[in-house]
Amino acid sequence: MRRPATLLPALALLLPALVMVGLLFVYPLVFSLTYAFRNETTGGWDLGNFTKAFALYGNDIALTAVVTVLSTTLVGIFSVAIAGYLTLGENRRAVAALRWIYRWPLFIPFVVAAQLMRTFLAKNGMLNNALMSVGLVEPMHALSLLDWRGVVITYVWKQLPFAALLISGAMASMDRSMIESARGLGAGRLRILLEIVVPQAMPTILVSLILSFVTMLSALSVPMMIIAGSPTLLTVDMAWRVNSYGDYGVANALGFVAFAMSGVAAWFYLRQGLRAGGQPR
Amino acid sequence: MPLFRRHLAVSIAIALGTLSLGAHAQVTLNVISGGSQNMVDYVTDYLGPLFEKQNPGVKVNVVGTGPDDAGSQKIMEKLQAQKSAGMATWDTDVIVPNQQKTGEMVRDGLLLKYRDSIPTGKFAVSQSAKLALGVNVDGYVMPMFESQTALAYNPDLVKTPPASYDELRAYVAKNPKSFGYNGLKGGMSGVAFVVGWMYAYGGSPETVQQGPYDGKPPAGWKKAFSELKSFNQQVVFTPGNAGTLDMMNRGEIAMGPVWVDMFESWKAEGRLAPNMKLKILSPGMPGQPYYYAIPAKAKNVDMAKKFIALATSPEVQAEGIVKRFNWYPGIDANVVKPALDPKVWNQLFVDVTPAELARNGKPFPLAPYFKDLREQYEAQVQN
Repeated sequence: MRRPATLLPALALLLPALVMVGLLFVYPLVFSLTYAFRNETTGGWDLGNFTKAFALYGNDIALTAVVTVLSTTLVGIFSVAIAGYLTLGENRRAVAALRWIYRWPLFIPFVVAAQLMRTFLAKNGMLNNALMSVGLVEPMHALSLLDWRGVVITYVWKQLPFAALLISGAMASMDRSMIESARGLGAGRLRILLEIVVPQAMPTILVSLILSFVTMLSALSVPMMIIAGSPTLLTVDMAWRVNSYGDYGVANALGFVAFAMSGVAAWFYLRQGLRAGGQPR
Repeated sequence: MPLFRRHLAVSIAIALGTLSLGAHAQVTLNVISGGSQNMVDYVTDYLGPLFEKQNPGVKVNVVGTGPDDAGSQKIMEKLQAQKSAGMATWDTDVIVPNQQKTGEMVRDGLLLKYRDSIPTGKFAVSQSAKLALGVNVDGYVMPMFESQTALAYNPDLVKTPPASYDELRAYVAKNPKSFGYNGLKGGMSGVAFVVGWMYAYGGSPETVQQGPYDGKPPAGWKKAFSELKSFNQQVVFTPGNAGTLDMMNRGEIAMGPVWVDMFESWKAEGRLAPNMKLKILSPGMPGQPYYYAIPAKAKNVDMAKKFIALATSPEVQAEGIVKRFNWYPGIDANVVKPALDPKVWNQLFVDVTPAELARNGKPFPLAPYFKDLREQYEAQVQN
């Protein structure tokens, strides 16, 4: 019968946090999702904003999905490679050097990364100039990468250390006896990585990729600064609708679409957490 | 623990003490400026200190909200929020918004009609001091400066620069990828290029600029947009207003539309090759002013008026706007010119002559036409 007495202080302690989350996150979210269906001219509720959003920005929605999925895949491949080498690498110096260097982009904000890439990836930028001086690219054939490819490069560069950090942590905490016995039986490092290490680290790999996916989906500065012209990404269109037309309806509809995309990721995240033992991590 | 508490008490006391001291000693004039960083710098580095020197005990606090509609939209939303909250006084004394949003703010009753009560009010003679994209703003605003878009070109690569949209199209057809602009979403210089294109090929430019708005776009827009779409195949898209200048610097494009003031400032700072030149394409490219305005329930109205009167005095317009920041004056040029060294005055018109400016400098379209134009570009050119 002591329950209510202990419940009260617990609730009181929780309350500020709950109110904050409710006011600053849940309320605006529900509000914007609802108002995606609002027709400001008639004052009624319909799908007008969505019709307009898909008519004007259908390509951008598709491109957003392609860019984020592609970036997430690349982040997955490279981060497993890096974490795998950190776990299984035999050259101590190479491992130490990699461990030291791979985290750097983690400390650079998206907007700064975008600014770096703007000059790095331009037609006569640092990348092409370097390739030209080595003779790999003819000056006449130099390409500007300042479009969706630039965004993929920036996203991967920026999110890779985050995923690699989580994954290498999970790999390092694994019981090494299995690795040692596989090695003793003559398995190659690639085989150990793919057949023994990756399956055990899979929950962490998925979680880090889902978090990366959502982060990349929501970044505004990178597409805004890197993509010249169109098609561009959803976040840029949302900012454009609000800033140029004061049109929150279509912006909310686009937000709804973005939310649906991250909803898919969230579903995987929760399912993963439940399967791994009750609580999502 | 007691030691910690005593420390805490002392530091709170000190903090409160400084706060209240500060509040008694000074009036803070809150200025919110839209526009690029140089406009914030203008107040922080030049106008603010000048005003503080003339009015001891006043502190000018300036916040920048960013360029284009986005920055001015933020100002509008701030005022709207304070209005809907029913506050007796608002925390902003002077705002510097662009044309489009100023019109909306006047319509929503967010601004104070103050111009006739300041001594420099009579210098506001330009058309844009009365109309902001078709909305009557007479009395609510003082133009801070006028800015203009033009075609920047690299004379090493372009011997005879195109003088009109027709010549530009001919040039680009012969030299694909030599021209670059920042599309519609990458900043106002790209928007300005599109607007100029529509003035040239869309038909009825006078109606689009002056009204009346009849709810439907001119008949020529469809064709003009489809021609722009095929023109776009031969151009390079640049990332933003600054992106166009960057690409010219790196020799990736030979020309592109830019803001004259940005171009001149970059040149003066050595961020742009000194041989680059400007030309306003005929039949015309748009320009726009930024305005000084006072929110309807500003806290320090008298001080705000005094601030704007200083900012729009001939001396400040000459020294600050023209000489230091390379803008065209916002007030009557005839009263600014005598306050300046003729050499400086002529420097402003090296590339673009006053006659050319008068002939080819156009306003942006009426707000509803402007909205239609941008949305149809998205629907017909980008898709």
